[in-house]
Amino acid sequence: MSAPTTRRIEFIAVAVIATLLIVVFPLLNSAGVISNFTLNLWGKYLCYALLAISVDLLWGYTGLLSLGQALFFSLGGYMLGMHLMRMIGDLGQYHKPIPDFLIFLGWTELPTFWKPFSSFPFAAAMVILLPGLVALVFGFLAFRSRIKGVYFSILTQALTYGGSLMFFRNDMLMGGNNGFTDYKFLLGADVRDASTQRALFIATAVTLVLVYLGCSWLSRTKLGLIQRAIRDGENRVLFSGYAAAGFKLFIFVLAALIASVGGALYVPQVGIINPSEMTPDKSLEAVVWVAVGGRGTLVGPVVGAIVVNALKSWATRAYPDLWLFFLGGMFVIVVLFLPGGIVSIPDRIKMWWARRADANAATSAPVAP
Amino acid sequence: MTTDQEKTNLILTVEGVTKTFDGFKAITNLNFYLDRGELRTVIGPNGAGKSTFFDLITGRTKPDTGKIEFGWDTDLTALNEYEINRLGIGRKFQTPSVYSEHSVWENLLLSLKGPRGVFSTLFHRTSTEQCDRIDELLTLIRLDAKRDWLAGQLAHGEKQWLEIGMLLAQDPQVLLVDEPAAGMTDDETHRTGELLLSLAGKHSIVVVEHDMAFVKQIARDGKVTVLHQGTVLCEGKFDDVQADTRVREVYLGRGQHGTR
Amino acid sequence: MNFFNRTVRLLAFAALTLGFVAHAADSARAIIAKAALAEPPAQRIETITSLLGSGDESIAGLLAAWKEDALFVYTAPDGSKIPVQLFGDKDDQDSQTATRVDSGKPILSSAGKSLRLVASELTAVEHTSALRRAMKAVLDLLDLSTPDLKKRISAIQTLGFAQDAEKLAALQARQKIESVPSAQLALREAIALIELKDASPEVKLASLKELAALHTIGSADALKAALADAEAANHPSLAAAARLALNAVDSHLTTVNFFGTLFRGLSLGSILLVVALGLAITFGLMGVINMAHGEMIAVGAYTTYVVQNIFGTGLALSPFGFSFHIPGMNTGGWLYESYFIFALPLSFLSAALVGIAMERTVIQWLYRRPLESLLATWGVSLFLQQFFRRVFGSNNVQVSSPSYLSDNWTFHDIIFGWNRVFVIGFAGLIVLGVWLVLTRTSLGLLIRAVMQNRNMAACMGVRTERVNMLTFGLGSGLAGLAGAFLSQIGNVGPSLGQSYIVDCFMTVVVGGVGNLPGTVVSAFGIGLADQSLQQILLNPVLGKITVLVAIILFLQWRPAGIFVTKSRSLEG
Ligand SMILES: Nc1ncnc2c1ncn2[C@@H]1O[C@H](COP(=O)(O)OP(=O)(O)OP(=O)(O)O)[C@@H](O)[C@H]1O
Ligand SMILES: [Mg+2]
Repeated sequence: MSAPTTRRIEFIAVAVIATLLIVVFPLLNSAGVISNFTLNLWGKYLCYALLAISVDLLWGYTGLLSLGQALFFSLGGYMLGMHLMRMIGDLGQYHKPIPDFLIFLGWTELPTFWKPFSSFPFAAAMVILLPGLVALVFGFLAFRSRIKGVYFSILTQALTYGGSLMFFRNDMLMGGNNGFTDYKFLLGADVRDASTQRALFIATAVTLVLVYLGCSWLSRTKLGLIQRAIRDGENRVLFSGYAAAGFKLFIFVLAALIASVGGALYVPQVGIINPSEMTPDKSLEAVVWVAVGGRGTLVGPVVGAIVVNALKSWATRAYPDLWLFFLGGMFVIVVLFLPGGIVSIPDRIKMWWARRADANAATSAPVAP
Repeated sequence: MTTDQEKTNLILTVEGVTKTFDGFKAITNLNFYLDRGELRTVIGPNGAGKSTFFDLITGRTKPDTGKIEFGWDTDLTALNEYEINRLGIGRKFQTPSVYSEHSVWENLLLSLKGPRGVFSTLFHRTSTEQCDRIDELLTLIRLDAKRDWLAGQLAHGEKQWLEIGMLLAQDPQVLLVDEPAAGMTDDETHRTGELLLSLAGKHSIVVVEHDMAFVKQIARDGKVTVLHQGTVLCEGKFDDVQADTRVREVYLGRGQHGTR
Repeated sequence: MNFFNRTVRLLAFAALTLGFVAHAADSARAIIAKAALAEPPAQRIETITSLLGSGDESIAGLLAAWKEDALFVYTAPDGSKIPVQLFGDKDDQDSQTATRVDSGKPILSSAGKSLRLVASELTAVEHTSALRRAMKAVLDLLDLSTPDLKKRISAIQTLGFAQDAEKLAALQARQKIESVPSAQLALREAIALIELKDASPEVKLASLKELAALHTIGSADALKAALADAEAANHPSLAAAARLALNAVDSHLTTVNFFGTLFRGLSLGSILLVVALGLAITFGLMGVINMAHGEMIAVGAYTTYVVQNIFGTGLALSPFGFSFHIPGMNTGGWLYESYFIFALPLSFLSAALVGIAMERTVIQWLYRRPLESLLATWGVSLFLQQFFRRVFGSNNVQVSSPSYLSDNWTFHDIIFGWNRVFVIGFAGLIVLGVWLVLTRTSLGLLIRAVMQNRNMAACMGVRTERVNMLTFGLGSGLAGLAGAFLSQIGNVGPSLGQSYIVDCFMTVVVGGVGNLPGTVVSAFGIGLADQSLQQILLNPVLGKITVLVAIILFLQWRPAGIFVTKSRSLEG
């Protein structure tokens, strides 16, 4: 198959899935065919798919296994969460105009840094700015000193760990252990209302499709070529005159933004954000999705995020004690036996088939007179 | 020491350079001057420090002492790999290093001269001139038919050619070529020699090679530098060098058995 | 007025001490027996008071019995009155064994059998409130004379902190006969503290000078109060002296904190070191960080727990719904306490075996794919954590330190826990051992050969598979040992490994690959930095975060410590 045909097939597939997600599912939901619960669950999966794409952009395409994506995802979630907390108004348990946990900590007035979050545009801007800034500073330092491979993984793990330690503290004034929950309104609509949730689902689906198309375009640009060249031979890239650090920084910040937007969409749909979303383990879990789906492709992370999480939803209910065994085992097995992930299965079957045919031809030939 | 006239004619100056790895002196007080348009051949036994010498020029390793200058005023020791490359110093590595997961065509595209910033590559569109240039190079390195192959699938000799092609695509002022003939057939080796000779004059070239027939082919009347234990043992015409007793002792005497 | 009071009391005490000396021949028991019989009761008070300053161990029990109406007077058949105590179980006539107060021995009847008496038929020795006060005074000072040094010092300090002028005389008396230097110091402090409350400025001034010289941490509060008093009373010279003394205490406190931090940092560093050494070895060999290394720590810690229970009463486990019981040996005393000695090699072994099993099943297929093996080992780590949860429960398990590790030395107010001292010492031994293994044994030679060039070593006929396996076992075993140490210092739970692993990774990253001296330096560096930042910032979390930031900045400065560039092929 030539490149243009595969691209056309890809385009048609994306168009079909996009219509399904953006138009058909919400319509079926308002008609009552798909339950609110199911739609909400899928909304969550799509947010995870965004997180998975951000992991794959770094790991699959650039060879940087970042364990910091959960941090960026939660930072985005926290930024929008702050706005949602402000929108509770005085409907909290204490019926005061500031969030309950602040009252609990003995505050009577809103801390200054909380004030601008009453504005949605500000919170939305912070979803982009804060994780972007963190990624920019950390990435600049890490890539400047040429930290790569497992070192990069370890440092990003430490970054996430440090972040979660910070958010677990009450003095951070970000809700401590419990984080933010009990949201009431978003842009004037009741968050728990089915129609709001449907709108959020559509927003997530649209974002996912746009991110998918954007990344797919990116991978075809010359920058995409350099990105993969860095993955396969970073030193060679330097000797071709490219400042690899700058390219990695660009991708790292971009991936942080994708994760952060995913997190911001995730929070109103799930209704809670707390520091347990920020741990290195969550990052690694997202890496599992990518590994299971198939890294180095864009379909892989989406498929992986949905499949693994659907499996998780089922398994944590059916076998709550065994889920972690399952997750751990799945990881080992995929890494050992299916490095290409689910999306590589058709190719594998094709290859296996071809080899079998060859072998048959070879064995039958000498027998013939 | 050098007159202004000579200065402007120098493209590469290496003076008093020393490099030690964990106490092992790989390069000791090395002096090396390359003129514009010169084709210089560097020979020396294994471990003489030839590749390390290239590493020092291209910024892969930094010298402990000494100066390395490009033209007569650009201090290369203060720059890093990609900055040195952008100045116009290209290198072919001893072990072929191509982007093995990219096609031959993409390998050449990535090496092509042009802006190398993040955003300029993001919005880069390959122009027809660039396509033509790549086609030209593909014909030159005889990989036209394999333009869509992944570079990793090429044979060793083909990878060498591809890397030479990538070097040419950059159109550098100085070409540092480390053992280009390894893994090539005699015919191909000869062709490589011809190619290098045709480039001399327009470009300044340093070739490291063990293959004496090849060296003889490209050295012609040009200078040959003999490196031994990290320092210049002698320098001169091929025949003079071959006649030098010290060289015979450390290199050619052995080399007659060790190399073709 | 106050001064007069003091003199009188001193005189009285001198008389009493003399009295006590006169009675020296009589044992405390005899004195109490005498007091019980004394007539009139006023004389009882005097007799009891004569016990002041005695450290006899029988006093506390007897006086308590007296106060609880459990001291009786028995009139013997010959009419003599004997003070007795009743002990043992009551029989059907409610009678108990009678013991003489003066000797503590049972009264023997003429038949040679011990006499049994009924409490309700005897009269309890009376006690008035004045007598009880006298008894309390005796009891207060009792511990001042106890032969148990720790108890004695703590009694002295309690008296000092109470700053009760009435106890001054007793302390001064004790000071004359106290021979142990540490108790002497405590006495000086206590006396100075009490004198700080004195009305006369001269005495106060002297005591402030004394406290400045002693600069004990405990005196800080009293000094602050004295400073406030002096300022309120507008007494500049006193205030200045108080400030001087406080400064002395403060600077002492700083020193103590400094060394305490240093010590804690060293012990944390030692643990990091042992864990990180294992990590550095496996990392140097296979170029991948084993994410399940933390779980090897937990394997070691749980092994210690199991061994402890086997030495004790046994262990009931109910993994996956099956329950079974590992019988214990019900040992006690020193044998039980020696469990830790057995636990150390066993924790090494068990972790090494788990490590080897992991290497055989998972890691050996991934030697050339570092990032993938990082992920696969994380899968193993999840698996193991859940396994611990299912077998040992999700809560922390209790590992008790043997007595020889649970005490501490106090040296100039710096507390050296024996467990931490042990950890530091043992870490030193382990480093030495690892170094010897790597440099002096054939296994070490092979390990280093494979670390430097896997292919070359394989070509030279080294069975790299075996070397991998053994190295992995060694690295994991070291983590297991660290787990055994950790069980003595912190909690043992399923996520034990997780809380140390990030620090360990950092240690290896900062130290450099397969660079054992680097690992040693960075382990201590990070341990110390962690502890001192906690001390300075007064917040463990901020301390940790600062360390992480510092490490990232450190790598800006010395990234080269980490990367080994190989010359000829481009991508090392
Ligand atoms: N990064 C490094 N660390 C330690 N030693 C090095 C390093 N790079 C080179 N060396 C040593 O320096 C010496 C010179 O090596 P170099 O590769 O420059 O030799 P060469 O002349 O290119 O040899 P050959 O003809 O075999 O390619 C060798 O002994 C090599 O082991
Ligand atoms: Mg070489």
